[in-house]
Amino acid sequence: MAKLPVNLTVNGDEHDLLIEPRKTLLAVLRDTVGLTGTKEGCSTGDCGACTVIVDGKAVTSCMVLGVTASGKEITTIEGLASDGELHPVQQAFINTGGYQCGFCTPGFIMASKALIDENPDRTEEEFRHALGGNICRCTGYTKILEAVLKAAEEIRTTA
Amino acid sequence: MSEYTVVGQTVARVDAVEKVTGAAQYGADVHPPGMLYGKIVRSKHAHANIRSIDTSEAEKLPGVRAIITQDDVPSGRRVFATDKVLYLGEPLAAVAATDPDIAEEAAERIKIDYEVLPVVQDVMEAIKPSAPRLHGDDTKDGPSRREISGQIRTLSRDKENDHSDEISKLEAELENYPDEVYYNISAESHTEAGDVEKGFAASDVVVEDTYVIPRVHQTYMEPHVSVASADSSGKVTVWASTQGPFAIRSGIAGTLGIPLTQINVIGTTMGGGFGGRFGVIITHVPAVLLSQKTGRPVRVQMTREEEFTDGRPAPGCVIKLKTGATNDGRILAREALAFWDSGSVSGASIGSTIRVRGVYKIPNLKVDAYGVHTNKSGTAAYRAPGAPQAIFAGESQLDEIAERIGMDPVKFRLMNMREEGDEVPAGGSEPKVGYKETLEAVADAAGWWDREAGENQGWGVAVGDWTNGCGPGGVYVSVHEDGSVRIFHGSMDITGTDTAISQIIAEILTVPYESVTIRRGDTDSAPYSTGSGGSVVTFTMGNTAKLAAEDAHRRILELASERLNTNVDNLELKDGAVHVISAEPPKSISLGELAAYSLSTTGGPIVGKGSFARQASTPALAAQIAKVEVDPGTGRTRVLKLVASQDVGFAINPMAVEGQIEGGTVQGYAWAMMEEMQYGEEGNINPGFVDYRVPTSADLPTVESVIVEVPAPNGPYGAKGVGEPPITPTLATMANAVKDAIGIRITELPIKPEKVVDALKSNGH
Repeated sequence: MAKLPVNLTVNGDEHDLLIEPRKTLLAVLRDTVGLTGTKEGCSTGDCGACTVIVDGKAVTSCMVLGVTASGKEITTIEGLASDGELHPVQQAFINTGGYQCGFCTPGFIMASKALIDENPDRTEEEFRHALGGNICRCTGYTKILEAVLKAAEEIRTTA
Repeated sequence: MSEYTVVGQTVARVDAVEKVTGAAQYGADVHPPGMLYGKIVRSKHAHANIRSIDTSEAEKLPGVRAIITQDDVPSGRRVFATDKVLYLGEPLAAVAATDPDIAEEAAERIKIDYEVLPVVQDVMEAIKPSAPRLHGDDTKDGPSRREISGQIRTLSRDKENDHSDEISKLEAELENYPDEVYYNISAESHTEAGDVEKGFAASDVVVEDTYVIPRVHQTYMEPHVSVASADSSGKVTVWASTQGPFAIRSGIAGTLGIPLTQINVIGTTMGGGFGGRFGVIITHVPAVLLSQKTGRPVRVQMTREEEFTDGRPAPGCVIKLKTGATNDGRILAREALAFWDSGSVSGASIGSTIRVRGVYKIPNLKVDAYGVHTNKSGTAAYRAPGAPQAIFAGESQLDEIAERIGMDPVKFRLMNMREEGDEVPAGGSEPKVGYKETLEAVADAAGWWDREAGENQGWGVAVGDWTNGCGPGGVYVSVHEDGSVRIFHGSMDITGTDTAISQIIAEILTVPYESVTIRRGDTDSAPYSTGSGGSVVTFTMGNTAKLAAEDAHRRILELASERLNTNVDNLELKDGAVHVISAEPPKSISLGELAAYSLSTTGGPIVGKGSFARQASTPALAAQIAKVEVDPGTGRTRVLKLVASQDVGFAINPMAVEGQIEGGTVQGYAWAMMEEMQYGEEGNINPGFVDYRVPTSADLPTVESVIVEVPAPNGPYGAKGVGEPPITPTLATMANAVKDAIGIRITELPIKPEKVVDALKSNGH
């Protein structure tokens, strides 16, 4: 299949790539760019494990064709920590035990970050609904919500 | 104040940073150079004869490197179907290609000529003589026929006397049970204690009901995956997402005739397992075969849809249960007849039907269980395999009895619970377990005793028991010259077990938890370890780790005794240094100094070895209370409160233990309220997250967990395995709460809104 030129900025690095039009953004990130932190849990946009941030918005990267992301700024789980410092959302997931097997965790952290950036003042109930597109099978969500609320509070108070 | 400094404390897990930064390497993250992509060709029918498999069109596709079928399996063990498929999605062949999309296209181009056969999906249909038969000779007698046939056999064996009259009478009696010849039976299990008929006769209240529990999928978030690489010398390396690398190694060896030493299984970080990640043939064997054939590494990765059609989910079952009790609340007898939906192969956890006995003094118990073949994939373990199903029946029926005799459900349970030394029906003597403490703890925490319920609201309680398994394991501990400690072992981390092992070793060697690092080995480099299932890891590997640390401890004191010129009896290891007891002025030597010194001694470096196989484990109890509100218009049940307590023996890492309780409880909630693998004439019809709903954060409130600690005699620091128990009572907890809210007992799960609406309608609402 003929490949198309694509220019992606991933975690601040520019990538000029040739991509088959049928490849998803998830496949491009994992197989071409080589960033495997973003996970494939269902390939149908239902589980949220592949969530990345595209131009400031959380998207399920398995539902986006790679070629349509050309020219966009993408942040993946690998791009969240800076200068060796974990992002407050990452630190909160550690401190509260908001992960177990860890497979859904990159998606949850990216979705949470985007939600907190958008509005850190959500209530627990609002965060519960806003995170309804991400599935975790291990934690029962109690400690994830604890993490998200803690991170939101920290980001609110330091902003 | 705890006598311990590291165990019993909440610490950040050893894998914390790699898991929140995307660095942890799961199966599909492995990408050796030159890797090909495998795809499994699956049956499009649930039951069919295979007339032919034509691969010619697929072979022509550029990028296709190999196509394999059952002809490529040297042992002949069934990896791919040949002449007959037994379920939708059953593997028929596999393809390797240079790109996943090409592999998928090639798989679609393989032409299978089917002769479609009648399908049976329901266990109660499958046992009838009219049902299509999946395998050959598979009829079994039901409980009454078994009993009569047994008597006939006994009489016929007595050659001294003539019993022909009695025998012909019994043979005639057999004719009374024509419906008790069951077909499509894969396995059976029978247990009896006391005399149930006498027990029922002496009961004031007898309740009988049939409970239906659906087949559900473990739904670990990472689908099955393996990457295999066979080199020209015949050495095979497999990166496997599995709970049991050593079991995968022996499985591959047996299926493909490869010597154990020629196989190295590298367990990758596991994206959830819950019991469903032990299978050898699902992806691992096809990946090895494709790699052998192409000479290149091959990844075989299942999609979510394939997980639903060809995963190994938890069996559904139908349980007919009867319980008798006196008006003053004593349970006298319980009888169960269960049919487990085993799918196309045997393997459903039918032995767990015995869990209907619960943790109660039931003097008369009879349990008959059958595994039944249907046109579905086989089943596997799912978190306390078989227990949630049996306990759903048992605990639902207890509430019906409590209601009929007018007793509070918590008091009724407390009154009947076994105590230390009591006889366990068909199972020896009861050890010390915190049954009552755990139930009382959840009742207190939930506010049971002064509970209030508004309109359409209800409260439910249930308990579930489970005993952690145990298995062989080995651990090495090495102390370095800087005083740091390295651990080597071969068991897969199952969400926190590596952390518990590290805590135990830090505790014994009196070093900070942060100075202990853990290295999980592959099967080439690690000592043998049992699989990470059955809540075995903390119990088994915790004990093994303790032995290894104690071995290192001995060597440390030996070295210090040489260095400090005193007998080991005068020495103690404390805060990472060996001290001469009550020396004035104090005299000590650090662990690092001893490790450095050890390198020039005759005895050598500090290396501790632990090896352990078996100790009796102690049952654990999970007790839960839910408060719900049912919307009579929509039938939707909202959980207002969910409280879960558990006797964990000793919580080595309390935050991780809470996480297990919360996660298991929510899986139980999901089984009760929403999850169900549905089957039509042609197999599974809901193979995805839109139609097979699992809970999200929007479905639930905070789960409140309560840790109860009644130490287990043989557990490390008294710890019990904690992973499985919390799922066991939740199915009944929810059903009991819904009953309390709407006054109708729902015996068929899941309690979906439409079922509630139907129940309300048929009861005149």
